[in-house]
Amino acid sequence: MGRYLIRRLIQAIPVLIGATFLIYWLSFKLPGDPIQALAGEKKADPLVAAMLREKYHLNDSFLSQYWNYISNLFQGNFGETLTGRSVWDKITEAFPYTMNLAIVAFLIEAVVGVLAGIMAALRRGKFLDQLVLLSTLLVISIPVFVSGFILQLTLGVQLKNSWGIDFFPVSFNENDGIRAYLLPALVLASTSLAYVARLTRTSLMETMRADYVRTATAKGLPRRRVVGRHALRNALIPIVTFLGADLGSLMGGAVITEKIFNIHGIGGLLAESVYRKEGTVIVGVVSLLIIVYLVANLIVDLLYAVLDPRIRYA
Amino acid sequence: MRGATSAKWVAGAVIVAMAATACSTSKDEAGGKGGNITVVLGEPQHGLVGQNTAESEGAEVLHALFTGLVDYDNKTNEPKLAAAESINTTDSKTWTIKVKDGLTFHNGEKVDAQSFVRAWNWGANQDNAAEGMPFFSKIEGSEELAPGKDKKPTSKELKGLKVVDERTFTVTLKEPFSQFKTMLGYNAFYPLPKAFETDGAKKFGENPIGNGPFQMDGAWDHNKQIKVKRYDKYPAEGRAKLAGVTFKIYDNLDTAYNDLRSDNIQIVDKLPISAMATVSQEFGDRYIYKPESAVGYIGLPLEQNPEAFGKVEIRQALSMAIDRDAITKTIFNGTRKPADDFISPIIPGYRKGALGEVGTYNPTKAKELFDKAGGVPGNKMELGYNADGGHKEWIEAVANQLKANLGIEVTAKPFAKFGELLDDLGASKYKGAFRMAWSMDYPAAENYLRPVFSKVAIENGSNYGHYKNEEFEKTMAEADKATDPAEGLKLYQKADDIVIKDLPYIPIFTYMSSSAYSKSVKNVEVDAQGRMDLANVELN
Repeated sequence: MGRYLIRRLIQAIPVLIGATFLIYWLSFKLPGDPIQALAGEKKADPLVAAMLREKYHLNDSFLSQYWNYISNLFQGNFGETLTGRSVWDKITEAFPYTMNLAIVAFLIEAVVGVLAGIMAALRRGKFLDQLVLLSTLLVISIPVFVSGFILQLTLGVQLKNSWGIDFFPVSFNENDGIRAYLLPALVLASTSLAYVARLTRTSLMETMRADYVRTATAKGLPRRRVVGRHALRNALIPIVTFLGADLGSLMGGAVITEKIFNIHGIGGLLAESVYRKEGTVIVGVVSLLIIVYLVANLIVDLLYAVLDPRIRYA
Repeated sequence: MRGATSAKWVAGAVIVAMAATACSTSKDEAGGKGGNITVVLGEPQHGLVGQNTAESEGAEVLHALFTGLVDYDNKTNEPKLAAAESINTTDSKTWTIKVKDGLTFHNGEKVDAQSFVRAWNWGANQDNAAEGMPFFSKIEGSEELAPGKDKKPTSKELKGLKVVDERTFTVTLKEPFSQFKTMLGYNAFYPLPKAFETDGAKKFGENPIGNGPFQMDGAWDHNKQIKVKRYDKYPAEGRAKLAGVTFKIYDNLDTAYNDLRSDNIQIVDKLPISAMATVSQEFGDRYIYKPESAVGYIGLPLEQNPEAFGKVEIRQALSMAIDRDAITKTIFNGTRKPADDFISPIIPGYRKGALGEVGTYNPTKAKELFDKAGGVPGNKMELGYNADGGHKEWIEAVANQLKANLGIEVTAKPFAKFGELLDDLGASKYKGAFRMAWSMDYPAAENYLRPVFSKVAIENGSNYGHYKNEEFEKTMAEADKATDPAEGLKLYQKADDIVIKDLPYIPIFTYMSSSAYSKSVKNVEVDAQGRMDLANVELN
């Protein structure tokens, strides 16, 4: 187990280096001139632009720029944006919000999704099952920006203006604590939640038909134990795989939700940096997301061993 | 049990990760109480230094923190003295500026002649690569501080700036420039305290010390807020009435507008398109709707494609074939107004209907003129636009109108960003017409002509079609030399007439600014540059 862990962590290093190279190259190849982008639609003053290009080595070749970046990185220096802000500062400002949002969303998605799926699977064809199927279909078919705006308007604005209930903040404010994350996390989690519920339902129904479940029932075990201990543990494997991969996309893919609720997180930072062609920020953020993906995947792989006793790591 | 150990380990890791990123709390009182309000802002691009700010969000905060030598009247946009006691000249070339007595920076330091000289010398030095550097190129000796790429500045001080006594300094320009006083309200000309030199631009920009009605209340909290509080030693006239203002940073106007509707924030000075249909009903007289400074054009590549756009009749025909009313009404819901001059309607010197016949929709005359002049090669043209700015609809509308009224093939051609359109135009890879807009830096008619249509603007301005006209240059130079403002303005209008005659760009619309404020505040005004006049705002 320990050796397996170390091997996996060592494997992550070339993945990371390769990824930074690739992403740096891609952002280098992005169309447009980052200095002109700073000036918006007015033409950047030629001399100011030339001085900035020199300052940020934008005239150098790709390899020399990449070398410059990576050698600074090894000294713990993430570089500077073209407006003179430390990239590390920008990332650490944004990261906690995204992390908190992703965790709340992840919990909602995992707990509610799995519970709904179990209930639907155990009452196949009954009202509850139909309800879960219908409501998840509805959630899947509504785009996030629609559900986001509707929830913001109804629970944020109208609830306060018409009923005087100021519980859900319209936009994110740190001082509201976890309350500030509830609405955005719900919006962010909604689609995945629906998938998790459907996945759990199908997977559990399938395992319920397995031989060892029939054996357990025949042995006279109580239903709770048959479902919880024998069926569910096996049924959870595809769900854990999905959830593990989803944690990464919750973090990197929350651009729209973050924008609607004015959370200045990683998604927005990444989108803005791509737009502005800020290579150093793009690489920094993406590397961080890769680490999150790698760690989430590792945790998923370790969880397999917990769920299925046949899986062993050495 | 192997499984259970791994499970504990995994759970432990997750808990550590959660604890490590647990949300931190900071003090912040709710807006709207105790003389504090919250207003909308976008994250400024650069550190808060006037000389290095060329975008609206930074300018908004700087306007609260600094007071320039002149300021502009919110209604007429005429310059009025602010930090200056007097600004005099006899020849528009040498200007004597006297700073008001008793003005102080927020750290107690006196605002004197040196404060301005210090700031301008910093801004003019190319080593600092300040966004506002071009504004100092008019001052004598600027080439010593900005000799050009791959060269080193030979001086750190502008030869043209001389401190006469504590509160007086003179500015000598390379050429006479009658609009110099008007230009002085731009944020590149704000003063800087001694602390700027000790702190350095980077540190100073995070927590600037200004001379304006508000001072920083803690450093800039990036991507969250910038808090300012009233500066009590500010001169009684112009002193802020509110105790403090929080600029809350949004990157989405829809969200800011929803926060305004529930009075979580009190002023939003840029409304989202989605609000336009209902805002006047919802906010009544707390909705401000007025013309602002930007003008939108269709640009024509005169030099790059003379076969198509070289003839003035063709350009006039294109202009007359565009139904500006239809575009502003149906596509922009009235958030734009048809343009009838190259100069924005809010600027002193604007003349209503100056475009005359060429600015009036007349499809029959347009078709006649177009055919007589021989049309365009291949009977087709392209209309370029940047796809990231919401221009698709109106450009396609213009394309359809030209198609219908002139009987030519018109394709709307998207570019990812405006910069790419410029690059392709510069490299002559793209030879079609293109959308563009110009917004002033300071409210002078001159600022709508020189940066867009002069010869120098080919190199460092917005003259993307490379329009050249000697008579225009001569008239502008004469206007610059004028010592009587009224006479100068007449000459600028004469230059405007030359541009109207040549029609290198086709003005389509002028922009309107729309803002709204909540029930808890009053006396809200937004100036021509779209900045809130926060010093005057009061709680209800």
